[in-house]
Amino acid sequence: MSHDEVKQQPPINHAPSSNFAKEVEQEFYGDGIMKCIQCGMCTASCMVASMTERYRPRMLIQKILLGKREEVLSSELPWLCMTCRLCEERCQEDVNLSEIFHAVREIAAREGYIPQVFRNTINKVLEDGWLLNDAYTDFVEDDRSDLGLDPKLSWNNDFVKKIKKRYFEGVTKK
Amino acid sequence: MKEFVLYTGCTTPVRLPAYEAAVTVVLEKLGVRLIPMKDVNCCGAQYIESLSHTAFAAMSGRILAIAESMDRDILAICGACSGSLKAVKHDLDSNKVLRAEVNELLADEGLKYTGTVEVKHLLQIFNEDIGYDAIKAAIVKPYHGVRLAAHYGCHVTRPPEIVHVDDPENPVIIDTIIEAAGATPVDYVGKTRCCGGPMLAMDEEVANKIGLDKIKNIRDEKADGIVTACVFCDIQLTQVQFGDMAGDEPKIPVLTLPQFLGPAMGINFDSLGIQLNKIDPQAILQEM
Repeated sequence: MSHDEVKQQPPINHAPSSNFAKEVEQEFYGDGIMKCIQCGMCTASCMVASMTERYRPRMLIQKILLGKREEVLSSELPWLCMTCRLCEERCQEDVNLSEIFHAVREIAAREGYIPQVFRNTINKVLEDGWLLNDAYTDFVEDDRSDLGLDPKLSWNNDFVKKIKKRYFEGVTKK
Repeated sequence: MKEFVLYTGCTTPVRLPAYEAAVTVVLEKLGVRLIPMKDVNCCGAQYIESLSHTAFAAMSGRILAIAESMDRDILAICGACSGSLKAVKHDLDSNKVLRAEVNELLADEGLKYTGTVEVKHLLQIFNEDIGYDAIKAAIVKPYHGVRLAAHYGCHVTRPPEIVHVDDPENPVIIDTIIEAAGATPVDYVGKTRCCGGPMLAMDEEVANKIGLDKIKNIRDEKADGIVTACVFCDIQLTQVQFGDMAGDEPKIPVLTLPQFLGPAMGINFDSLGIQLNKIDPQAILQEM
């Protein structure tokens, strides 16, 4: 192949397809994303990745860096991180992956992409003030009494109503 | 006697009340009194935390502010809660805008976050407030010849610059306490890996595979039991052993740290809730 022929090839565009990474960078603790060097230590450490082919933290970071905004926001990927932080412990560049994925979840949630299981649980918490109101049966009450613990659990649900009104109006509706 | 307010979190009082009882009685005997917190709310971990950082800060911030009004530091016995409260404390202490917003919400109730209380996980109370010498001195019925695997819990030790509990790559607090009580701590592959609990919401099968992988690694070392320091981990490492994928190997008993320590301190099984454990730990407890 002559030098001239190479020159005639169309240039490969390495620019991200959107400014998604910059957008993530603006969120709480999203700024670590630009430090990623794509070494893959995170995927090598990840227990979720070791058990399912659906999730690779390095590839998720790469998708964000490449600007694949809609693909990432509408997928389950940001929600498959357990936030166990084993990858962060090992990352040589101090990339805070679980916080970055939280930032992506916040953006996704604002656009209506929330997995149903998260939606259901959040609606419960914002109603009852805590997670397990429905699971608190007479049997558990008896166990608590037998253990010498107060069987009356006094959870506050006024404050979460304020939280719901201020931060979640319209967001968690089905 | 030192005093802390106890933030139980949502899960312990319902799913593992024996942990709450055991913590209270064991710490009391070691000179730490716990005062229950009333009228609190969920810390917001995982769920609210994923949707709005500000709402998450408000929910954990309210718990911190209630502890301030009680003028005591907080003991959190759940990995997720201790992680949330510490992370939010860090944020509120370093971000004035966030603190102002949270305080605006709290003002209606006469609460205010000023940053005066500390948040400690149970492991810190043992390590920093009680100390290994005092624990050793309290052992009246030491274990003999029991091999135990410590499971620390991800949010208990990570991120280290926020939580300040132990060395996240080589944690030793539970192991040291196992040894102090006369038992033998055993290392195993993947000791600092997750139990899989946080994955249950999105994919139960993957969550259980992760939990069972840990059980297998612990079984490979011929451990007699597992000692935990987080309610979620304790429940997860127990329930995976009952699932369809568990196989028919003998189940490995799982004990919370105070349930392990209490019997060696001469505390009776009933007040530690031993009878409520889903996998009978008698094989461990009779070796004293």
